Amino acid sequence: QTVLRSSDTHPDGYPTVEAVKKFGEILSEKTDGRYSVEVFHSAQLGQEADTIEQTQFGVIDMNRISIGAFGTQVPEATVTQLPFIFRSAEHFHNVLDGEVGQEILAAFDKVDVVALAFYDGGSRSFYNSEKPITSPDDMAGLKFRVMQSDIFVDMVGALGANATPMPYGEVYSAIQTGVIEGAENNFPSYDTAGHAEVAKFYSLDEHLMVPEVLVVSKIVWDGISPEDQALFREAAQESVAIQRELWAQKEVESKAAVEALGATINEVDKAPFIEAMKPVYDKYVTDPQLQDLVARIQATEG
Amino acid sequence: MEYWILFGVFTGLMLVGTPIAFCLGIASFATVAYIGRPAIVVFQQLNSGVSAFTLLAIPFFIFAGDLMMRGGIAARIIQFAGSLIGHVRGGLGQVNVAASTLFGGISGSAVAEAAAVGGIMIPQMKARGYGADYAVNVTSMAALIALLLPPSHNMIIYSLSGGGRISIADLFTAGIIPGLLLAVALSVTAYVVAVKRGYPTEPFPGFGKAFQYFLISIPGLLLIAIIFGGVRSGVFTASESSCIAVIYAFLVTLLVYRSLNFREFVHCVTGAVRTTSMVLFIIGAAAAFGWLMAYLRVAPILTEAIGNLTQDPLMVLLLINVVLLLLGTFMDMGPLIVITTPIFLPMVTAFGVDPVHFGVIMILNLGIGLNTPPLGPVQFVAAAVAKISVWDAMKSVWPFYTAGLIVLGLVTYIPALSLWLPSLFR
Amino acid sequence: MRDRLLKVGVLLNALSTVALWLAGVGLVAMTLIVAYQVFMRFVLNSSPPWTEASSIMIMSWFIFLGAAVGVRENFHMGFDVLLYVLPGCAKPYLRAITDIAIFGFAAGMVFYGGELALRGWSVRIPVIGLPQTFTYLPVVIAGFLMCLFSLERLLLRMAGENVDDPIVDEDVIVTTD
Ligand code: NA
Ligand code: NA
Repeated sequence: QTVLRSSDTHPDGYPTVEAVKKFGEILSEKTDGRYSVEVFHSAQLGQEADTIEQTQFGVIDMNRISIGAFGTQVPEATVTQLPFIFRSAEHFHNVLDGEVGQEILAAFDKVDVVALAFYDGGSRSFYNSEKPITSPDDMAGLKFRVMQSDIFVDMVGALGANATPMPYGEVYSAIQTGVIEGAENNFPSYDTAGHAEVAKFYSLDEHLMVPEVLVVSKIVWDGISPEDQALFREAAQESVAIQRELWAQKEVESKAAVEALGATINEVDKAPFIEAMKPVYDKYVTDPQLQDLVARIQATEG
Repeated sequence: MEYWILFGVFTGLMLVGTPIAFCLGIASFATVAYIGRPAIVVFQQLNSGVSAFTLLAIPFFIFAGDLMMRGGIAARIIQFAGSLIGHVRGGLGQVNVAASTLFGGISGSAVAEAAAVGGIMIPQMKARGYGADYAVNVTSMAALIALLLPPSHNMIIYSLSGGGRISIADLFTAGIIPGLLLAVALSVTAYVVAVKRGYPTEPFPGFGKAFQYFLISIPGLLLIAIIFGGVRSGVFTASESSCIAVIYAFLVTLLVYRSLNFREFVHCVTGAVRTTSMVLFIIGAAAAFGWLMAYLRVAPILTEAIGNLTQDPLMVLLLINVVLLLLGTFMDMGPLIVITTPIFLPMVTAFGVDPVHFGVIMILNLGIGLNTPPLGPVQFVAAAVAKISVWDAMKSVWPFYTAGLIVLGLVTYIPALSLWLPSLFR
Repeated sequence: MRDRLLKVGVLLNALSTVALWLAGVGLVAMTLIVAYQVFMRFVLNSSPPWTEASSIMIMSWFIFLGAAVGVRENFHMGFDVLLYVLPGCAKPYLRAITDIAIFGFAAGMVFYGGELALRGWSVRIPVIGLPQTFTYLPVVIAGFLMCLFSLERLLLRMAGENVDDPIVDEDVIVTTD
């Protein structure tokens, strides 16, 4: 009987946390109780970068992590962090469920983790305290807090806005006092971080759809029999459908919640935004292998 | 068994007199080795424990405090404040509480506030005949005001851990009256203790002299205005304000008071390095220790025990307070809020406690934990600035500690203290 | 033996001073970086993205260097409870236990910090682009210095030197004028 410890930075009840719990239940059933999973939610074991290392060292057994946290460690995975690479939720699912998705999962082997499945992380859009954004021109002069990642910083720059470095916990007060005008995130985070209270304009440009990934430590994986490894993969696949359903539900709920708080949500014509991303693609998609991946993602239906 | 190793090794080494940081580090090291996981995580956490942007405020405020002290800014401000309320016994104790309340309005970190206010006030209080322990205790308890007055990033963490359904604006407003109540309670305590110890009173120098002191101290007083106004108007964030304090103090001492030479400047720098690295090294080691507490599920085990003990709402609140104080003794606020909120919040809401009210209780309670030995980072900062041992400060902390606990009791059992103000804004 | 140790002590003293100065340069550099961040945002309405990550890295460098200096200057904070209970002759033994504990933890810093640093070579820190090795290097360097400093004190104590009272340095004492 092995209890696997799995980390998650999201709070209890969040779709990813619940999905990993569900994965544990399914796994326990399939393995007659030989394996179960305990989820350490809310970043109890550290922030994402820390827990990636912990998984690599075998300090913890599993991890649910945003692909963005791997930065450029897994080149194949960085293509999923390119702005507007996915056209819609359907396109996103088609790519990840297909051959390209399998290739990306397999690429994690070289950083000492075994990636089992992709989960939904929703689409991220800009929100700010000033005005609804309808075109890149509206972004000029506004300061946005983004995650510490070169692609995201360059993306904001390419749109004519300013990327401002700031710890996440200070964003609320910073928007309130006017140090920055906004940030970018998906509906659930926009809602739970309370940012809808101070930045009322959420503009659905959906610039990013970064997948979440469920990984097992390579060290732990090598100690599991091939038969059980197959059961792990099956259980993970089964948890994906559950997670997608939970995620869709959560998005609807938090959209309603931010509207109740008085947030204005506006649709955006994405074409000029996509146009503006050319220099970002030119900078990050230089390798022929990545160019091929991007081309295949763009050719995928949906 | 792993629990005994973690807490046993820590306690054993602490009794021997090993510096706290190494007690925490060795205890974590030993425990990881016992449970058979790679010990590398201890050193990873040691490093990431000190690598947070919000911690920048600590070295900056300590550095600014050193500059203001050696450059004479602090002495001039204190001279002015002293001329106004010097005839009250323990007048500088009152100034300390007032300064903490003001700073609490721009910073959300009690540790940063102890560095900011303590860095200026403690050396001056010592110079004017106040006991170093008294100065440390006033500073460290008054620093908790920062947690309650907005802005307070810990309240944002609480809102997030409560599932995000709790309005941050409501939480911020709810903390104001309890924060001011704490200020009043500490002010009274500071007075009583000062009278008992016979601290000096100075004769009122007359309005002419007081006005002259005011003029001399204007460049220093402007610092407070710049920091307060800068954060409130959105020129810089709370943690950036600490850096502005350094730059401003440096320029005033160099250009206005012309009281800083290179040698003095080097003393300020090396002094600030010593004080901050001692305190932050403890915070890093505490992160490793806290990681193990999370990994071993110490907090959930203790919290679940409460639910099995009693179902009486008043008793539950009392027990929750006790458990939080115990946990707060060893763990930092952020992780504790994250771990215990999902368990406690449903429990108390089932008894009809408002989540906003509970947030205030939790923040104040865990704040007091930042001042409870053996692991009280706020105390460490204040004692480090005062150059006395925590042990010496602790011996006389009890009146101040009691004042804090009384406020905690009032806030716990009189919900209106927290809920009345937010209700006006709805 | 004792004389040779004291000679080595001169070298270690120099090492400690260098570490302290480097840490001081770090504190000043960090101040300038954050001030630059505020200035650029205020003047150009745009601050460079690298300031946050680099000021945090510099902070961890000077904290670890300063903490190593603290081992030699004996300024780390402890509680000394047993000293009040046990007779005075117990003090050297208690202090020796402490020095062994420090040496053990510092050795861990060198070994495991080294492993973290080596593994971080291929990982780039986002936005500043340096290898992650730089994040963990201060742990290794401080660990190495702490090993030297605690060993020095252990050996000097065995040689009969009084090493258990804090080094009185005018820099450490606050002037109360
Ligand atoms: Na505050
Ligand atoms: Na404590």
